[in-house]
Amino acid sequence: MSKIKFTVLLLGSLLIGNANLQAAAKTSKHVSTERKTEAEVVEKEPAPAIETTDDDKLVTQRELQGLNSEVALLRDQLTRQLDRNIANSARSLTISGILQNRYTGVTSSNVPQASNGFSFGSAAVVSFSGALKKDYDEGRNLTYVFSLNGAIAPYNVQPNDVYLQYSIFQSLDPEKSTLNFVFGQQKKPFGLEPQVGEDKTPAANTAIFAGGSGLNLAARDFGIQFKGDFFPAYDAGYNYRVPFIEYAVGLYNGSGANATDTNKSKDVVARIALNAPVDYSSDFRGLTFGSSIYTGKKDLALNNGGTLITGGGGSASRVRYGQDISYVSSPIGFTAEYAVGRDESALSGTTIANAVKSTTESRGYTLTLFYQWGEQFLKLARNEDRLDDWWPKTYQPFIRIDHWDPNTAISGNETSIVTYGFNLFFAQTTKLQLNYNVSNIRATNTKANQFIAQFQFGF
Amino acid sequence: MKKWIKYFPLALLFSIGVVAQAADKPAEIRFSIPSTSFQTTNAFYPVAELVIDHKLLEKEFAADGIKIKYSILKGAGPAVNESLAAGLGDFGNYGDLPVILGKAGGLPTKLVLGHEQGGNTFILARAELHINSLKDLKGKKIAIQKGTAGETNFYRFIEANGLNSKDFRIVNLSGADGQAALAAGSIDALSSGYDRPLVDQGLATVVADTRKFPNSIKSRGALVVTDAFARKYPDITKRVVKVFIEAAHFVSQDKNLPELLRVTTKAGYKYKYQREELVNTSLKDKYNPLLDQDLVNHYKAIVDFSLQHKLIRSKFDVDQFVDKSYSEAALKELGLQHYWDKH
Repeated sequence: MSKIKFTVLLLGSLLIGNANLQAAAKTSKHVSTERKTEAEVVEKEPAPAIETTDDDKLVTQRELQGLNSEVALLRDQLTRQLDRNIANSARSLTISGILQNRYTGVTSSNVPQASNGFSFGSAAVVSFSGALKKDYDEGRNLTYVFSLNGAIAPYNVQPNDVYLQYSIFQSLDPEKSTLNFVFGQQKKPFGLEPQVGEDKTPAANTAIFAGGSGLNLAARDFGIQFKGDFFPAYDAGYNYRVPFIEYAVGLYNGSGANATDTNKSKDVVARIALNAPVDYSSDFRGLTFGSSIYTGKKDLALNNGGTLITGGGGSASRVRYGQDISYVSSPIGFTAEYAVGRDESALSGTTIANAVKSTTESRGYTLTLFYQWGEQFLKLARNEDRLDDWWPKTYQPFIRIDHWDPNTAISGNETSIVTYGFNLFFAQTTKLQLNYNVSNIRATNTKANQFIAQFQFGF
Repeated sequence: MKKWIKYFPLALLFSIGVVAQAADKPAEIRFSIPSTSFQTTNAFYPVAELVIDHKLLEKEFAADGIKIKYSILKGAGPAVNESLAAGLGDFGNYGDLPVILGKAGGLPTKLVLGHEQGGNTFILARAELHINSLKDLKGKKIAIQKGTAGETNFYRFIEANGLNSKDFRIVNLSGADGQAALAAGSIDALSSGYDRPLVDQGLATVVADTRKFPNSIKSRGALVVTDAFARKYPDITKRVVKVFIEAAHFVSQDKNLPELLRVTTKAGYKYKYQREELVNTSLKDKYNPLLDQDLVNHYKAIVDFSLQHKLIRSKFDVDQFVDKSYSEAALKELGLQHYWDKH
């Protein structure tokens, strides 16, 4: 009800504002500041720009009655619409979504390949988010995100991000530190490729080490996370804030997204990033060094086929650590990342008592270089408003080298993919991605080239 | 043949360079301007809005075939700085504090024209607090928007009243959030421009305002140009300045007040408050664009203020930053050298 009252008030104000505008327009005549030639001046006596002002003229009762009727009519229309056609929610709600539709074609291969075809990318996500409690005093807001992804084979819609976030420290003053608490299913704070956005990861596919056939670091998990920063540098001239130290520590089930935990042990993920604490105009703006670590335990299984060792209480350690460096300062961007995994498993045995354990070390790295023409990644692009549906076109060629060794003890089993790509951002939430992947999978002696054309669009 | 191929790219580059050097006019002139917070497609400053509304620049450069591009930015002064730094704007038309912060941060610009003296600042308090003076607000939570000219307006105003920032609990909120927070009772007071919808709704009262204070404590915006553009196109720069002077001359005349009100109301300002702000004001003083000693001193004071409040790290020479050559030439051309009083 209060919303209706507010809307009626707003409408009333708008109408009065409109009446103001009309009143202002009525009292003025268009005046051009164009200078006239001498001939024109002689020929025509220049009329005074504004002869009289009837600024203080009162409106008549009839005009006022007409305005009141208009407000009443709009109020009735709005009440009916609110009742019948307008969706409502108990708290603030933003509905958004990201979808990826792609065509994949294998252009050359020395072994038989899967057929070419159309598919989803990794996202067909619809997301609901908003504030459950907004703190105007210090910005200690409680917010939520609930999203569903329907692009994960076999195309069942599944929960994606499902979490609450609370700002423990104030969040309004850009010159002060922040600390947030996140509870629920979420991304893990490890590295760049597994968790950062398109400003640092231009390729359509996630790097191998971050994906399911690597260390699975991009997968979501259920848990809690504290993340924040220290020593922020703030350049008020550009409203640019960069904290010298960013940190995140999380505690997770370790069993992945949409799965219940199978043991009592929890995995710990931590990341620290050091940013160049400089002004906006500095050449070092956008330079970051990061380190991440993931440590935990999983149920002990045979390393061939993953059969669980019976008997209970058996666990295998799971450790990942990585370093990254990035320099993203439009128009150029560069990222390099390195990650190592150590996974314990059983070589043999059927029970805890007779299990023989071994550790597999895997290793992956990526190097990405990109350049962009256009304003897509400048904050001002999101700050510009025009009457038409304007968005700055941005062109972004890039190259990425992606290398993965699933077992460093065995030679000749690495995979390398070099991606030559081009992204075209042509609308506010839409881009076309063209990727050409040159792959060398040494384990199967496969050399294949693959072309991906993907539209990513959102609402 | 092989030699020809080898040197072709170099020859091509050279040709492009020669053509570029030969161009004495740009294909377009790009303006970065902050928007009003109510109507984000319209310019914040009335002179700029008039220039846009009357298509004065388009008319000036029509015969040259030069296009005019406006970027109206919701992010206020900081967004204008970002636009100029990214090479996406040739001219910026914005408030004193972000002009100073941009220049102090290394933005290669020069100040070529002043505009608009003194938009008034109003301190609003929640109606139920029954606060009647600034001193009664001591220890209370008051919202300002940092990084904008409104921040300097507020600090200079309270300092003129014998108070300082430590006397209040300052909260950084955008204009819209500040209004919502005051209405919700989350803050006690708000430093606002002259548009005061919360007062109309009975939710807030005016505690103090700058109407009776001298213009020297109020903000003064400016037109800046990038060094590169001014160096490459000095005549075009002078003509742009001339157009802004013509607009300032137009709004400086009392007979044009109704048209000024029409333009600002269209930009989203409330007619009632605009009229109140302008009707008993000397428009000629308010829209005086001269780069006189008064303006130079104002910018020097803002530099000192920014340094004192640690908004900038080092001083720069305001006298070097201000370039009067374009405005002096344009004023002479228009015969307006003596129209405005020099201070």
